[in-house]
Amino acid sequence: MSETVTFKLNGKDVSVPKGWTVMKAAAKEGVEIPHFCYHEGLSIAGVCRFCMVKVEGRPKLEIACNLQATEGMVVSTTEDEVKEAHKWALEFHLINHPLDCPICDQAGECSLQDYYMSVGKYESEMTRPKVLKPKALDVGDQLVLDTERCILCSRCVRFEEEITKTDALGIFNRGDRATIGTYPDKRLEHNYQTNLVDICPVGAFTSKDFRFKQRVWFLKDKKAICPGCSTGCEVDVYGKPEDSHYYRIKPRHSEVNGHWMCDKGRYYYDHMNPVGRLRKAISGIEGSRKFVDTDEAIADLARKISNSSVSDMALLVSPQYTNEEYAALLEFFVTQMGVKNVYQWREPTESTEDFDGILYRGDHNANTAGLAAALKAVGLENNIENQFDDLAKSGAKLVVALAPELSSTYPSLKEQINKLEELPFVSMWTIDGKVFEYPGINHAIPMKGFAEKKGSFIGHSGVRKLEQPFPAGNEHARDLVETVEALTKVMAHL
Amino acid sequence: MTHEKIILATEGKENQRSIDTYLANGGYTAIKKAAKMDRKAIIDLVKASGLRGRGGAGFPTGLKWSFVPPDDGKPKYLICNNDESEPGTFKDRHISSVNPHMIIEGMLIGGYTVGAEKGYIYSRWEFQLEIGYLEQAIKEAYEAGFLGQNIFGSGINFELDHYSGAGAYICGEETGLISSLEGKKGQPKLKPPFPALEGYLRRPTVVNNTETFCNIPHIITHGAEVFRRYGTEKSPGTKLFSISGALNRPGVYEVPLGYSLKKLIEEDCGGLKDGKKIKAVVPGGMSAPLLMPAQVETATLDYECMQEMGSMLGSGAIMIIDDQQDVVDLLRITTDFFAHESCGQCTPCREGTGWLKNLVNGILEGTEGPAAVDRIYQVADHMEGRTICALSDAAAWPAKSYVKNFGEEIKAYIEKKGNRA
Repeated sequence: MSETVTFKLNGKDVSVPKGWTVMKAAAKEGVEIPHFCYHEGLSIAGVCRFCMVKVEGRPKLEIACNLQATEGMVVSTTEDEVKEAHKWALEFHLINHPLDCPICDQAGECSLQDYYMSVGKYESEMTRPKVLKPKALDVGDQLVLDTERCILCSRCVRFEEEITKTDALGIFNRGDRATIGTYPDKRLEHNYQTNLVDICPVGAFTSKDFRFKQRVWFLKDKKAICPGCSTGCEVDVYGKPEDSHYYRIKPRHSEVNGHWMCDKGRYYYDHMNPVGRLRKAISGIEGSRKFVDTDEAIADLARKISNSSVSDMALLVSPQYTNEEYAALLEFFVTQMGVKNVYQWREPTESTEDFDGILYRGDHNANTAGLAAALKAVGLENNIENQFDDLAKSGAKLVVALAPELSSTYPSLKEQINKLEELPFVSMWTIDGKVFEYPGINHAIPMKGFAEKKGSFIGHSGVRKLEQPFPAGNEHARDLVETVEALTKVMAHL
Repeated sequence: MTHEKIILATEGKENQRSIDTYLANGGYTAIKKAAKMDRKAIIDLVKASGLRGRGGAGFPTGLKWSFVPPDDGKPKYLICNNDESEPGTFKDRHISSVNPHMIIEGMLIGGYTVGAEKGYIYSRWEFQLEIGYLEQAIKEAYEAGFLGQNIFGSGINFELDHYSGAGAYICGEETGLISSLEGKKGQPKLKPPFPALEGYLRRPTVVNNTETFCNIPHIITHGAEVFRRYGTEKSPGTKLFSISGALNRPGVYEVPLGYSLKKLIEEDCGGLKDGKKIKAVVPGGMSAPLLMPAQVETATLDYECMQEMGSMLGSGAIMIIDDQQDVVDLLRITTDFFAHESCGQCTPCREGTGWLKNLVNGILEGTEGPAAVDRIYQVADHMEGRTICALSDAAAWPAKSYVKNFGEEIKAYIEKKGNRA
């Protein structure tokens, strides 16, 4: 047991482990102490001077972020002196801020706005012209920087120093001319840039991807797991279900990913948007391929299956689906029907052991381990070598191919699909609308995206759960469990 | 008037700053005495002398040294803060040019006492001449065997280097200085941890002012009691004052603490020139609140009197404001200075110094009305005691003081400009 200290916070006894700051203790107690520069995932800067609290017996107010709670300390965040200090700290932050909220992407989730409502609500005393600074700077592949909006909290500088260790950012010049920027000839080039947008308490850093696309208050967010690699970061997916549209992904604090996620993961919403998504099932069983209702396509496939011999059937399965889906799929095809030819769809160029030291792993599948376990559970081996060649050689006449959800993580996808062209009948289950471009695909079922289903992955650090699905952005889309269920039903009546 | 000088002992002598002159005046004997003393005994002696830091804050030197943790086999550092940048202060420059070896000897003793084997003298960049003198003195001390390894066979190792930043005021703040010495942007560091535990290169570091170090050899040689013969109970010793303004004999004066301000002005400096009258006095550098003529009559130059009068002794920079000077212009110079020199790290200082500057310049331009006067006070009031270092306070105090003492005069100025907005 670590030592604890008990101190008074706004009259209430609070016990925390020794060494905790008042800021941390207050957060645990649900007492909001306004702050800009403090961030749980970064070192303490103590520069915004916003988190002032009163400690009994001390002449000056203290900053809660750098104040260790000690036994018997009496701290107040509600005294008039503290409130006045908060109000003025906010005013100091705002006097040179452009207040361009109507055109700022941060509006609606901006600390300046939130604190104005909670500790501000004053008439500004500022009568002088504001300091002007560079705007709309292209500082990185993912980012645009507005140095006028910046309140110089230095979170981004510390992120660059401490998390990515890339040191591209600095605060240049002094006094109210102090300006955030990149060092000469430096640019943000790493895979974690968009975290700067998240940790920036204001709208200084905006994401090139999200910029000007949506007002955040129109968005709904749901918890999910990033499907982009085996780390399985906890994320929030932001979308507008009424428009069947997704707009962005942000990390959610967890033990797996801390406060961060990589830039690649930020884009794994786009494949669920209408443009590029397979909008309807395809069936080419009766003559040429055409769009049909999903149920019709499933019925067509059921008939095709029932007319085929089990030995002519094969499955090609990618590791980007949930454990529950694999269980249903393999139960139906392997356990019940007796299909023996099950191949894994893997990207040959990936080096699964790679790790960038922060979050991003070389295994670009959320559920490699889950698929291996599911195969083992039905008595199959976990082969990953030469799977496409073996499939081609197997002479299978009916192939159900479970395409990777994230086509972009499979650079060899096109080549691989072309290999399927020789096979007489391929039913591709996929979310990717490009499937129609491949003549070798005879049949397709539109799949749900990861944010639209419940289930679990087995990531690098264990089981990761998808629990809060959005309604499917495409009414025709199904997950594997639903597809297999429908197949089973139709087959039962054949 | 002549006073007994401790620090400026060699002032005016031929080759005043050479090691020979210093040795002829008993130089480098204190370190030999100290080398035979127990480290704790030296700290106790410095504590007993009551020596307070001469850089501005007046922190007891012996106490500061006692915070340094015991040796752990890793380096500790000793830094001489010669980054004298407070407007009106030019005493450390004078010491550097008159008696640089006394700085070195003081550092030697300090280094031995706290267990630092590496020292730096950090001078402000503009002291190009004095940097030359200091480098020459360091060279002489090395040649004479007072610096380096196992100096004069005492087992004491002390290497000393000179360094200068790029001329920022903030590098005179000890942690700003440390940042600069580390090669970083000169910005004060968040405390705790304090430099005595985590300073230069995150190792225990003591930073003392130039003049502070110069008091050490005397204390070692003559003891605390002799030192306490000068000055007052709470402010023992002598102090250098750099006094400027429309005086007949402005300059650097070494007088015992507790000396009469009026006497310094009237007798030592020969009074004001051309029949000018005192309008106010800045007693401790630009950041010190003003003393008004009635206060000047009774003020004594020591920490406690200045504090009682609502000002501070600071670095001992006395600036005489005479009746022909314009307070709005003086306030502008003050606010411009701090706005220029704020490092920009802490929000109240970064934004507040700029705001004050803009308000005062608005008054001069005629775009601010009388409300600006109260606003200056209000803004300054909320800059005070809110930041990592004291620059924000240093900017706030004079602004408040000008408004408090000359508010009506500033409002009359605005009236004359014709802006009632």
